[in-house]
Amino acid sequence: MLHTKVIDIKKEKIEFSNAEKFITSCKYGASIYFVGTVRDLNNNKKVIGMTYDSHDSMVIKSFKEIYQNSLKKFKFDNQAVFIEHIKGHVLLGEVSILIAVACKHRDQAYELSRFFIEEIKKKTPIWKKEHYENEDSEWLEGNPIQTK
Amino acid sequence: MKIKLELFGASRDFSNKDFLEFDIKEKIEIKDLRKKIINYLDKNFKENDNFKKIVENSVFCSEDNNIIEDNYKIVKNQKIGIIPPIGGG
Repeated sequence: MLHTKVIDIKKEKIEFSNAEKFITSCKYGASIYFVGTVRDLNNNKKVIGMTYDSHDSMVIKSFKEIYQNSLKKFKFDNQAVFIEHIKGHVLLGEVSILIAVACKHRDQAYELSRFFIEEIKKKTPIWKKEHYENEDSEWLEGNPIQTK
Repeated sequence: MKIKLELFGASRDFSNKDFLEFDIKEKIEIKDLRKKIINYLDKNFKENDNFKKIVENSVFCSEDNNIIEDNYKIVKNQKIGIIPPIGGG
């Protein structure tokens, strides 16, 4: 079971309650919420916000592929995964990504949650532009997208 | 034919618009498009080696959201996306 969405911050926010509704079921004994937020310091620069850019349709495609790969890799009986990633200008401390997973057992949930965030970092076309206290801003260097 | 290059991430700084347009006489491969983008940057942003590096380290995607290789041939009017190095989360 998978839910994916790119959230345009101008229109809506990432809501924990939506994730909770999606993954809550008596089939699962363990759930984990991974939350990414905008941090105040990077490379000794004071960060005041972040702009996220996204190739929306490829992001959704990438989330679905990662989900399919997780099914093949882990072969868990049951799993629910809720992924939402923000797009647009996000302030310090605000949520940029929420990955909620639910599985039968806790070791499965930990493994699955970690798998998703690490794969998204490598395979999902999202970019960050950091904004600093001195009014400068810069796109973060990133890594070439991995396609396999 | 016209190639509309959709800009994402750091490549958005290449233009005030969300895209660049290239008028091409004959069919070309992605590796040639890469050279054309670099030529455009040379003309418009002289000595900005960072921009060139972005292009060299980018991949490209087709309208149907597939990553395309350097030998992919563009034979008609088409939208192509440039995918600079990523870093979400």
